[in-house]
Amino acid sequence: MAGKLSGKYCIVGIGETEYSRGSGRTTRAMGAEAIRNAMNDAGLKPEDVDGMMSYHGGDSTPSTAIQYDLGLRPNFYMDCSGGGSSTEALVGLAVGAIEGGMCDTVAIFRSMNGYSQIRIGGTGVRAASGITGPELFRRPYGLISAVQTFAFTFTRHMMEYGVTSEQLAHIKVAHSNHASNNPKALMKQRVTVEDVMNSRWIIRPCAHLLDCCLETDNATCIIVTSAERAKDLKQKPIFILGVQGRGTKPGGDFHYQHGPISRVAGHYVGPRVFDVAGVKHDDVDVTGCYDAFTYTTLLQFEDYGWCEKGEGKDYVTSGIINLGGKRPNNTSGGHLCEGYTHGMNMVIENVRQLRGTIDDYCPDWKEGKHTYDYSEGKCRQVKDAEISMNMGWGTPAVGSAMIMRR
Amino acid sequence: MPVYEYRGQSINISENDSEYLGYFEAAREHRLVVKKCLDCGLLRGEPGPGCPWCTSLGWEWHEVSGKGTIYSYQIVAHTVVPAFRDWAPFPIVLVELDEQSGQPNPGDGLRLTANLLDGNMEPENEENVAIGRRVEVVYMDGEDGFTLPQFKLSNEPPRDQVWRYQT
Ligand SMILES: [Zn+2]
Repeated sequence: MAGKLSGKYCIVGIGETEYSRGSGRTTRAMGAEAIRNAMNDAGLKPEDVDGMMSYHGGDSTPSTAIQYDLGLRPNFYMDCSGGGSSTEALVGLAVGAIEGGMCDTVAIFRSMNGYSQIRIGGTGVRAASGITGPELFRRPYGLISAVQTFAFTFTRHMMEYGVTSEQLAHIKVAHSNHASNNPKALMKQRVTVEDVMNSRWIIRPCAHLLDCCLETDNATCIIVTSAERAKDLKQKPIFILGVQGRGTKPGGDFHYQHGPISRVAGHYVGPRVFDVAGVKHDDVDVTGCYDAFTYTTLLQFEDYGWCEKGEGKDYVTSGIINLGGKRPNNTSGGHLCEGYTHGMNMVIENVRQLRGTIDDYCPDWKEGKHTYDYSEGKCRQVKDAEISMNMGWGTPAVGSAMIMRR
Repeated sequence: MPVYEYRGQSINISENDSEYLGYFEAAREHRLVVKKCLDCGLLRGEPGPGCPWCTSLGWEWHEVSGKGTIYSYQIVAHTVVPAFRDWAPFPIVLVELDEQSGQPNPGDGLRLTANLLDGNMEPENEENVAIGRRVEVVYMDGEDGFTLPQFKLSNEPPRDQVWRYQT
């Protein structure tokens, strides 16, 4: 956005379906509900939403089907192939579509039965499909799932910087504490470092079971429009200060042919998003750092510059990322505990944080009244949160970031 | 090449696969090859159509020694592929070949994914899997004509520090 659009567009509506492991319905049905919830949240009628965008991995329903279900008639739609880090990128593209006059208001959605249908972890239909192209260098060796695809990066990082499994586990502990104050979360139970260490290994030395996110059935929606259009809508607009969409490392899918492989895309994305947004690290009150696995969160904290390279292990064990800490991360519980949505729920959570209306166990959260008591089953609103940052992860080589302000 | 079956997976290398067909044809003859740029002469570990350093689209297959070093690794304790369950826990290694190591830029290398196997072509014992250990290529020949390049530990002493995570 080169800075000139900073603050001129905003998120005005958010919507979700239940986070479940067995939705019992189609991605079309869930997508329609999530978009409808976001429209109601924003106070928008079908004729007001004239743009649709979505991302998928062959596991969703096209915009042109769901437009019928809600009586929408987009002047612009785009369903693209995508995954983690697409959320922020699509918000940026929605801003561009509106600025370019293609439409006025865009509903971005992601809908997937990631547990009950096409499993995001690679079991079932994905593992049973034929092997062609670049997969010929990976899948014949039993390398297929995301936790494996990224593991060479993190094993090497553990060697270079001396990270331990116990340190990683602190990320899960923090996010589980946050989830215990989130009625929507799939896994609300608080866990300890010992719980993580005692859960079974998935990939040594990178991930125990509790270091991995939760395959989830869910749909989500974010509605983007101009600050001008937002003036007479229902919610306090949350302004988009800057977006960087899917920046990459040298080599892309084959990044491990270059060094250092322990570096991730945030190294390139970070300086650009801070520059475009015109804010500094210390201005940020709350982060949404993608937690497909605990190690993706740690790697990104380092390369986005929240600490020095190699000091992520100190950052995640310091208490900074906990509710009540200096800059809490993934206050909903994120992918590790609320549910896996390819990044959408982390942006939705930060919109709620900046509105001041986190949907926790405080009785009057809808009025923005919070106790700021972060013990189990209580509050998860960050006091006076003004600026948030999301860091989406696609692969070690692909990342997006977005900074928002209330 | 026809469609092959390997550990319950269907391997489909089409006749027009200009990236990978020649690699697996060479593997069947027990030769390990990478692509070499006809213009700048640099090798590349991923057999893509263009040269990452000079954009040239001209290339030829180039045989390499098959010797290298473990650059990174993972031990698969839980696999999502049913036909690999009898192997778990098993190692997958990222091997850096000796050729062109650290060239043309520091940190660059020709890197291949493989299983680390023992003398019986079974998964190597986890305690022996470590970054820095020396390895060499071996070939796993299937009955239907599909050959998969794999690696095993070599007798050479390590050239650098050896590291594995102590769980
Ligand atoms: Zn060249």
